[in-house]
Amino acid sequence: MSSKKGSSPKKAKKEYSGWSAVIRDPRVILVLVLVALSLAAIFIPFGDREGFTNLQFGLDLDGGSWIQLEFDSEVVTIGEGADVTSVAESVAKTLDCTVVPISLTKIEVQKSATVDELRAAVEAAGATYVGSESGVGTDTADTIKLILESKLNSLGTSDVKVNTLTNMDGVSQYVRIEMAGVDLQTAQELVGTQGLFELRIVTTGNETAHVLYGDSVVSVQTPTQNPAGSDIWGVGFSIDNAGAEALQQACIYYGATTNPADHELVMYLDGNLVYSAPLSSDLAASIAKNPVNSLYAGTGSGDEGKEKAQELEIHLRAGALPVQVQIAGSGSTSAVLGDYFKVVCLIAAIAALAAVALMVYLRYRTPEIVLPMIATNVSEIIILLGIAVFIQQLDIAAIAALIAVLGTGIDQLVIITDEVMHEGRVPSQALYLKRLKRALVIIMTSAATVIIAMFPLIIMDLSTLKGFAIISILGILIGVLLTRPAYGKVVMEIMSK
Amino acid sequence: MKLPKYDINKYDPKRMMAIPAVLFGIALVIVGITFALTGMPVTPGIDFAGGTAVTIHTDDTKEEIVSFYNGYDLKSVDEGIGSGGYYLKFGPMSNDDMMTFNEYTLSQYPEASIDQIGANFGATLQSQAMWAILFAFIGMAVVVFIAFRKIVPALTVVSAGVADITITAAVMNILGIELSLATTAALLMLIGYSVDSNILLTTKVLKRQGKLEEKMAGAFRTGIIMTTTTLAAIIAMFLVAFIGQVPTLYSIAGVLIIGLICDIIFTWGFNAGVLRMYLSGSEKSQSIPKQPKKDSRGAKQ
Repeated sequence: MSSKKGSSPKKAKKEYSGWSAVIRDPRVILVLVLVALSLAAIFIPFGDREGFTNLQFGLDLDGGSWIQLEFDSEVVTIGEGADVTSVAESVAKTLDCTVVPISLTKIEVQKSATVDELRAAVEAAGATYVGSESGVGTDTADTIKLILESKLNSLGTSDVKVNTLTNMDGVSQYVRIEMAGVDLQTAQELVGTQGLFELRIVTTGNETAHVLYGDSVVSVQTPTQNPAGSDIWGVGFSIDNAGAEALQQACIYYGATTNPADHELVMYLDGNLVYSAPLSSDLAASIAKNPVNSLYAGTGSGDEGKEKAQELEIHLRAGALPVQVQIAGSGSTSAVLGDYFKVVCLIAAIAALAAVALMVYLRYRTPEIVLPMIATNVSEIIILLGIAVFIQQLDIAAIAALIAVLGTGIDQLVIITDEVMHEGRVPSQALYLKRLKRALVIIMTSAATVIIAMFPLIIMDLSTLKGFAIISILGILIGVLLTRPAYGKVVMEIMSK
Repeated sequence: MKLPKYDINKYDPKRMMAIPAVLFGIALVIVGITFALTGMPVTPGIDFAGGTAVTIHTDDTKEEIVSFYNGYDLKSVDEGIGSGGYYLKFGPMSNDDMMTFNEYTLSQYPEASIDQIGANFGATLQSQAMWAILFAFIGMAVVVFIAFRKIVPALTVVSAGVADITITAAVMNILGIELSLATTAALLMLIGYSVDSNILLTTKVLKRQGKLEEKMAGAFRTGIIMTTTTLAAIIAMFLVAFIGQVPTLYSIAGVLIIGLICDIIFTWGFNAGVLRMYLSGSEKSQSIPKQPKKDSRGAKQ
């Protein structure tokens, strides 16, 4: 961004006597090396990058959509002492939905319910109702994240981020999905209408009966050849014990164990048939005796069989979320508008830098002070951007933080300069160092207050504000730890001239 | 640079403290009324109340846009200067209405940016934002107390910070700037920065040798340069962002500008007044006042 401005004052510095000492100072060397490394990190091409820098931009600058989903699910806290597993079973019967115990005092009710319904169900189960909030436990949240990720990635959407937002009680209320380069309608189609996977069994003729839902499918393998090297494809998957028992009972009850051909297993996604096949004779024989957890769905031979296997894998994996979801919020920025915002942000940053330069020039009027000040400020921004390449994407809020860092960073250089220049030129190095130390104490204190004040935003994960907080804190740390001590050294050289 | 004509040592400390104190009182009333009406210190925008915001850049006039959205709950239209940028706000809609709204908008303005927040999600964000602000205040107070370890100066710095944020919130209400995620971030940043020049003043006056008047004047000179330099950067950001209609950027900048101006008033009026009273009588010896005096002053805060 400002590499030219950064280098010109440094050339000018060499004209003054004593500058070789400044350049050799470890603090100054460190800053110069970091600026060089940061410029390299920003501009030298590596990885997959868009545009002519390696900076990562947020959806509001790069174009894309975000969707935040909330769960039709409640986490209920019950009084201590009750057997959480039996309470969960009882509540599940009362409310006719899946209920999972998630800790000694918490159960996850996987449908929307009012407080009164939940209270009645918990009390009917012989436990005391303490409280409830909408959301899911962390295990379910992780599952949802994995399912969404695999579904969206496998559908070819390039850059997808899925994050669950968990509150301080360990309850996840939301999952946020960010898709770069996808418009809102496509995004909503991909995400908003979640599929429901169901395994059914043919009873008589065209009639089928329910066996299990996708939440019983615990793991899915990538397509394999069976036997190996045969070019006959299929997908292995395993189901949980409850699912295995349900399958065994259904197969025996409807006669699939004795007559597999007339009682095929059928898989549906959102009511659409995605797969059907009879039990193999091996499986029919073993399932007649014991529940079977590991299943293998063959899809045929050659490329067609392989393709079908890949599709089936997606259906099995992403077929069902354990809970229903609603769209809590969504947003999109088109690539054109994002590019426009980038230009405005860049102009705003340059204008801010120019304003700062003008102000310090009006105050000090000596290029020996003004140029190092601006150079220090620019170095700070370059190092900040260099680090951001690796850890933080820049959205508009983060750019605002960056410009604020630019404005406040110069404050602290003013404190150092004024403290050191106090009563004119410095008589001795000892006195100078004493003054620099005093200035740094003021700077440290105010830096600590800003870091503390911004810290909640990093933990709370209030969507875009996290970037704002990270850039602010990072900017302050770079200033306090790296560039300001180096600037102090430079000022000392100027003062002692 | 010429300094503003304000001799920090000339005025009666009580009068220096009075004006900011009165401002703080008025601000408390405004914020209190807003809180009673909306449940938040500043009127919540769509991020917290739920609703839909649309950013478009078009050659259409404002009237054409308003008539295009006839039938929708269009709350407000902000317009950039000469850039053809518009920022529209709508009331909350159901999921299905939202889908048709998106289609309708994109059919006319394919490059529009649309943001939608459901009422539930808004309520969650609201409670989280309130916690963030509370934690930020507590954290700031802890750092200040650790740094000064004296009741009166620390309490003054902290209350200047609280007053700064309160007045900023009141001014936001008066100017019609809504509380959004972006402006919450700006307020949190202000909690940190509002104590910046206060710390400078208090440190310089309490921990340096020399005459009180000189220390005050020195701190004022440095402090006012600091704040005006920051202001210059933020004003530049505000102007560019407002002309170009980048709402996130100009709302953050706007709040920071208000806050920094409040900061000037509070540091160099209220805090300077308190410090002069606190140190009067002991200005040459730099001795620490006796315990009872501290307590009585502390109680007055």
